[in-house]
Amino acid sequence: CNAEKDLDLSTYVEQTEPADALYNQGLANLNAGRMKEAIAKFEAVDRQHPYSEFARKALLMNTFANYRQGQYQEAINNGKRYVTLYPTSEDAAYAQYLIGLSHFRQIREVTQDQRDARLTIEAMQQVVDRWPDSEYVPDAQEKIRFARDQLAGKEMQIGRYYLERREYIAAIRRFRGVVENHSDTRHVEEALARLVEAYYAMGVASEAQTAAAVLGHNYPESQWYKDSYALLQSGGLEPRENTGSWISRAASLITGS
Amino acid sequence: CNTASTLNTRETFTQGYVIDEQALELVPVGSSREQVLLALGTPSTTATFDSEVFYYISQKRVRNAAFMKPKLVDQQVLAVYFGDDQRVTQVAHYGMQDGKLFDFVTRTTPTGGKDQNFLTQMIAGVARGGPPSNPLGAR
Amino acid sequence: GAVAVQLAAVASAEAATVSRIEVRGNRRVDADTIRTQVGISPGESFSNADLDEAVKRLFATGLFADVSITQSGGALIVTVDEYAIVNQVLFQGNKKIKDQSLVQSIQLQPRRAFSNQLMEADAEAIREAYRRIGRDDATVTARVQELDDGRVNVIYEVQEGDRTKIATINFVGNNAFGDRRLRDVISTKQSNIFSFLLRNDIYDENRLRADEEALRRFYFNRGYADFRVISSTADLTDNEYTVTFTIDEGERYRFGDVAIESTIPGVNTDALRSELRTRSGSVYSAEDVEDTIVGLTESVAGLGYAFAQVTPRGNRDFANRTISVVYAIDEGPRAYIERIEIRGNNRTRDYVIRREFDISEGDAFNQVLVQRAKRRLDRLNFFQTVNITTVPGSEPDQVVLVVDVVEKSTGEFSIGAGYTTGASSSSGGGFSVEGSITERNFLGRGQFIRVAAAGGEDSRDYTFSFTEPYFLGRRISAGFDIFRNTRTFSNSAGDKIYDREATGGTVRFGLPINEALTAQFAYNYTQEEYDRDSDVENSDLSQAIQDALDQGTWRKSSVSGSLIYNTIDDMQNPREGIHATLTTEIAGLGGDAKWAKFTARANMYQMLSEELDLVGLLTVGGGHIVGFEDDLRVFDHFNSSDRIIRGFKYNGIGPYQLVDPTDPDSNRDYLGGTTYFHATAEAQFPLPVVPESFGIRGAVFADAATLYGSDVSGAEGTGMEWRASVGASLIWASPFGPLRVDYAEPVVKESTDRIQHWNFGISTRF
Repeated sequence: CNAEKDLDLSTYVEQTEPADALYNQGLANLNAGRMKEAIAKFEAVDRQHPYSEFARKALLMNTFANYRQGQYQEAINNGKRYVTLYPTSEDAAYAQYLIGLSHFRQIREVTQDQRDARLTIEAMQQVVDRWPDSEYVPDAQEKIRFARDQLAGKEMQIGRYYLERREYIAAIRRFRGVVENHSDTRHVEEALARLVEAYYAMGVASEAQTAAAVLGHNYPESQWYKDSYALLQSGGLEPRENTGSWISRAASLITGS
Repeated sequence: CNTASTLNTRETFTQGYVIDEQALELVPVGSSREQVLLALGTPSTTATFDSEVFYYISQKRVRNAAFMKPKLVDQQVLAVYFGDDQRVTQVAHYGMQDGKLFDFVTRTTPTGGKDQNFLTQMIAGVARGGPPSNPLGAR
Repeated sequence: GAVAVQLAAVASAEAATVSRIEVRGNRRVDADTIRTQVGISPGESFSNADLDEAVKRLFATGLFADVSITQSGGALIVTVDEYAIVNQVLFQGNKKIKDQSLVQSIQLQPRRAFSNQLMEADAEAIREAYRRIGRDDATVTARVQELDDGRVNVIYEVQEGDRTKIATINFVGNNAFGDRRLRDVISTKQSNIFSFLLRNDIYDENRLRADEEALRRFYFNRGYADFRVISSTADLTDNEYTVTFTIDEGERYRFGDVAIESTIPGVNTDALRSELRTRSGSVYSAEDVEDTIVGLTESVAGLGYAFAQVTPRGNRDFANRTISVVYAIDEGPRAYIERIEIRGNNRTRDYVIRREFDISEGDAFNQVLVQRAKRRLDRLNFFQTVNITTVPGSEPDQVVLVVDVVEKSTGEFSIGAGYTTGASSSSGGGFSVEGSITERNFLGRGQFIRVAAAGGEDSRDYTFSFTEPYFLGRRISAGFDIFRNTRTFSNSAGDKIYDREATGGTVRFGLPINEALTAQFAYNYTQEEYDRDSDVENSDLSQAIQDALDQGTWRKSSVSGSLIYNTIDDMQNPREGIHATLTTEIAGLGGDAKWAKFTARANMYQMLSEELDLVGLLTVGGGHIVGFEDDLRVFDHFNSSDRIIRGFKYNGIGPYQLVDPTDPDSNRDYLGGTTYFHATAEAQFPLPVVPESFGIRGAVFADAATLYGSDVSGAEGTGMEWRASVGASLIWASPFGPLRVDYAEPVVKESTDRIQHWNFGISTRF
């Protein structure tokens, strides 16, 4: 079978080019959009002149080129090596940001494993914590919000799955999870409305009314609130909290957090 | 195997909290929150916003044949209300008849994330899975 | 290198400042890089702790054998002694294992620091890799090639030697079962000419452990409760292993009395006796005990005691060698499932996995239902591995179920070829080629989609099929198929008579009733067009065939319902169980065909003798078709095939019509019959001389069948005459695909039947 031809060691001599020449060729390829060649050049710098100043720059550019090329796993590996080797250099924030972006690009649809959403949050959170004044913080926060929304979306999808099968315990727990842990995402409205539906279907009117009251208090114009209101009315009920001091505490839970 | 066991296709599922009558007597009105937790265990869920109420929900479903949807035949909700002094003030019982039947709202909040269409799945499948398995046994 | 940390005594107060940082001894690593690692800049104050941190960080980079920081005057002096850096790792002489997979098993990588112990460890890792593929005498020598400015190449030279074989596997102390039978139980096989393909003759330590477990299970299930593996040794002499298992079978036990006890009030144990799989008096079997436990747990859980636990207590009576078993049912720990976490589904949708669970969040933890879900997920054939583990939840009585799946590629481009002598309704036999694209998990939704095209000497076949396993949220597998089949028919002399082109489709629903019984309902629509070959005169065709051909296009629109009962243990190589189907089809909802057809077929497998691994197969079947208004069309009659009786040509028995009624020995056209019955008795056994690792089995069989009755006027041979044949066959589960060769000798036949002794079919898909 096709055994790789073995290198003839005697003639094997690696010609090493000066680091700056290689690096500039890499940059030229990068700007011309030829990613593969750029990556090859940057790796040559890193291999022939390991741990030199050019090697550091080449590693960063390599991370970027891999990211642009869509090789997210290589971009993450190179980014991580950069951040561990050169934590205090000024481009470390950019490398960490690239790691976050590489995870972000791989976030899947809510019905699939959300591992990449969690990894995005982790990586981007590091950008915000370790380099608070870097220019990448605003976009990092934006990506964190999207990833958190994705996690909430997954909880909602599983909650709806159980609600459809009328398995109320599982459904209520999932929707409560969204209300408690993801109250800053768009899904909290739907989560409250689903709680109204679940409790009402089970016949526990007081909980249904409370959930509707909190939904109405925080999102008066939301279409979800209109649905919940109509649902309760069909049963001769209207949203009101069942004990006095309630709404303030519930409301603070949403707006305060 | 005896044929009797293969023909009866009815399956009953008791889902959620398993209500145990004697344990119920252990938590009369006035007993403390710890007593309730000890006797009845962790509640299926608590009041959404302040856990002043413990709900123990149990459902019973029957499925006559493997392909059918299990039908809800019985549902008990045991609600244990606590006063401000963390003592049981009232124990309520919601049965199957309290449940309401209606259609849930079908609209959902949109979410993002990459989804594969058929072609990328086939190619990705082939690329990731490598060449189709070689029939001449492991290489 | 020894860690030498000299910390100059800082004369002035604890915090000191320096004007500049000097780096010495770095040949290749850039001074700035070292300065950023040290993390102390000129003018900034630092303490001893900072210096310690700096040294630790420099070591952490793994680049330096030795680091020391001293302070003299206003300068901080950092002296480093660099490791050599690995430039390339090269492999020489490795053919069986590619460079790419060797790289994964070693630690020295390009750009990492080089060290001798790492190189030695890697050499050993490569030797281990070769041992795993059965080349124990491979040798690996490692050496270093110096490059300029502190870089090195690492080269591993490998002499692979040749395959280490397993000469013999023998057993000591076995008298209940022969060596051959036990060799069939374990997975390690003796080397034979096919082992380079199957690779099952590689000696491997943990495969041997697994074989011991397989032997234990084999004996426990056949009454030997005291069975012990005393030792399993493998000694290597000139590149060949001899493996010896020394075992102590102990006595063979039967079940004593079997009882059920329950500490849970309200559980009436007599009602549960129907779940018992272990009868007193029958041979002891660990598997039956396990099945009984599952049965009891399921029915007790069904009665509402979700936490009930069934634990068997056996006590042995050595005198008359019986084991009496008591199944104790008592209240287990109260644990609820808090969440079901599904991980690893990068393509499969969450609900496709979650819907296989009959248990959901908030329910009582029930091991039997979790095992059932795992079996269902494995049967989906979407995943390489599915493992379900439990993790403590947020409360002592809560548990989180973690489902980790590793997906595998479920798409297949496959091309296959085959040769069959026995024809079937859609193809005339001979060579055939087939190509197909199949996706079992379409878009991760669990749907099945398949496009296939096949061509034989005289037939073309195109099919497209789609199945949704969970129609309308119920466990109903709904699907449809569209097919187009063209076939040319020739008479017994082999010259072409007519072409048939059939196109159509079915819409089908599969409804599982319980674990063994499934019902299927379908609507079928087919349109057949016949055109006679141009140079075929009426004189060459019997009257019946002429009338049928003259009808031109023919439409069938029918509904069919069938019941499938299947308890076969292993579909590839069945030894126990029943597979029976009963189908009725009614054609007449529009279209030209108006008839009702009933067919039934049951295969019963039974292990006749454990010692000889003799498997008995009894098959019975029958079918009847009756037309409504007008007579049945010739083509709607049943034709005999090798699935009904072997030893006869396809459509070679049963009613026929002479082409020229006046001349008795003119050509005969076989018309098929309205009713058939058939029965087969077969015994399958391993071939005595051939080593069992080939996977070849022999069989002897006796078939009997009758095909009679015809709506065609003037048909002859319509009486209910029985035909019978006896024969032998070779069955080979070859790596290329299942292969079967039958030789059948008709013993009872009609003079007009057409004989075909050999029947041979192999089809491979690759």
